[in-house]
Amino acid sequence: MLVKWLTQVKLAALLAAVFVHGPLISQQMDSAYDLMARMAKASKELSYSGLFTYEFRGNLTSVKVEHVVRDGETYERIVYMDGPEREIVRRGENINCMRASDMLLRGSALKINDNTYAHLQDFYNFYIRGDARIAGRQVSVVNVIPKDKYRYGYVIAIDKETGLMLQSVLINRQGKPMERFQFVDVSIGTQVNDIEFSSELIDSADIGADQSDCLEGNQQAKVSESRWTPRWLPAGFVLSSYQPAGTDGQESLMYTDGLAVFSVFIDSSSKIRNLPKVDANLGATVAVLTNTEFNDQRFAICVVGEIPRSTASQIANAIAPIPARPMQ
Amino acid sequence: MTDPEQRLAESISALMDGESTELETHRILKEVGSATVNKQGARSKWQRYHIASSIMTGAPVAKIDLSAAIAQAVDLEETHRPSSLQKFTGSASRFAIAASVAMLAILGVQQFSTVEPSGSDAVQFAEVAVTADQQNNGPAIQFPSDFQPNIQARTVSAGGNNKVSQKPLVPVIQARQTVSQQYSEQEVRAYLNDIILKHSSHAALNSSQGMLPFARVTTSEGGSSDD
Repeated sequence: MLVKWLTQVKLAALLAAVFVHGPLISQQMDSAYDLMARMAKASKELSYSGLFTYEFRGNLTSVKVEHVVRDGETYERIVYMDGPEREIVRRGENINCMRASDMLLRGSALKINDNTYAHLQDFYNFYIRGDARIAGRQVSVVNVIPKDKYRYGYVIAIDKETGLMLQSVLINRQGKPMERFQFVDVSIGTQVNDIEFSSELIDSADIGADQSDCLEGNQQAKVSESRWTPRWLPAGFVLSSYQPAGTDGQESLMYTDGLAVFSVFIDSSSKIRNLPKVDANLGATVAVLTNTEFNDQRFAICVVGEIPRSTASQIANAIAPIPARPMQ
Repeated sequence: MTDPEQRLAESISALMDGESTELETHRILKEVGSATVNKQGARSKWQRYHIASSIMTGAPVAKIDLSAAIAQAVDLEETHRPSSLQKFTGSASRFAIAASVAMLAILGVQQFSTVEPSGSDAVQFAEVAVTADQQNNGPAIQFPSDFQPNIQARTVSAGGNNKVSQKPLVPVIQARQTVSQQYSEQEVRAYLNDIILKHSSHAALNSSQGMLPFARVTTSEGGSSDD
């Protein structure tokens, strides 16, 4: 009788182990993904200032950043600490403005068209690697691994206390790091709110934040009014921004899948459209310049982004004019 | 003895010696199990042969027949047929083991087969591999001399290719086809710098990485952005 009871206990333990095991694994994935969503929120809504380093291919630069949220608006400043003195100031961004990448990172599925939705978890796997200490703060390290070959992976360290991203490493298809961004010193929270935003530097750019890219609450991705469209895109990329052609004859379309971003520039000006086809790399960023003819007019097409070069080439070759729209 | 009886006797003695065939054994058991207590029947033969062999070997002989009592006791014992619950848990446990092994196998393969960076590479960043198409061994394009690196200090890379850190901080350009028309390399570079700056400022607004994309633009004319 004892033997019978023991076997039944063993059986029960085995079944329990199997049923608990399953949810635990998916729990790990879920909490890694929750960390990413928390990071997206924190980077918009927190006030912080600090010094970070940016490294690629053995080159290291350091940059000072200030990001202040005051009365629902954001003020940001970047000061380059190496090389010529330059700074960039951006103000007026409404913190309630949700852009495509914000929504994707927070887990919404964005509707591209009637049949297709873009949802971040469909294209990346998220794993919590462990804990570390960066810039004097405790962080969780998350591995972000792409599910297909059209995008890169990341290793991201997220502050445990506030959710701010303190380190981000871009990993290519072979598993090698391509660029690294890491905070060296950071202060987060209310003590940053008193920073005054006056610029004393000579070379300073003050750019306004374009609010036209904010999405309405209906989770519909932006629809392009452009005359051009890519006939092929890697799955999961949605249009996040569109700038129509100005006096310089340059249109730009920006796509994101929540993490990776690339831009498409279409030039009709005579100076640009005669440039040869080139591929260029600047660290992790790749630029593919090609040209095409339509209606006896030549256009230069350039795809720029932190995506694999083969993906950028494919996209550049797939840019085509929309036949129904009249060309100007 | 009649022929069948003689054959039966031979079968019984063969069974006692452990040398009977299966057919014989079955026949004997059938005969012995029959209810009749015939003096010449298989059952009494069985008993007498056993007594005879016991006497011959000097083993103690008992005249007590326990067979009826034993048969009764066996009848009283409940049959060990597995209940349906036991059958279910038996097969469920086999299924559970198989399922958990399969799940572990799938998850393990998933973790290892996708590209996964080793932790030390990402955290230490001791050396970045320069892929072949990034090396400066392209064709006729030379880097213009006015783009000088902003690096004052050499970065530490463990045993890496130190020549990399002294290259100018410029885009590495490769023409994809033989250049037949005239073009100015300066124009290409100027255009690309402008493009990269515009992309970075869009990305800084439209991605989750805050102001990081601006850090990528290190050779820009920072003040001319007007978007």
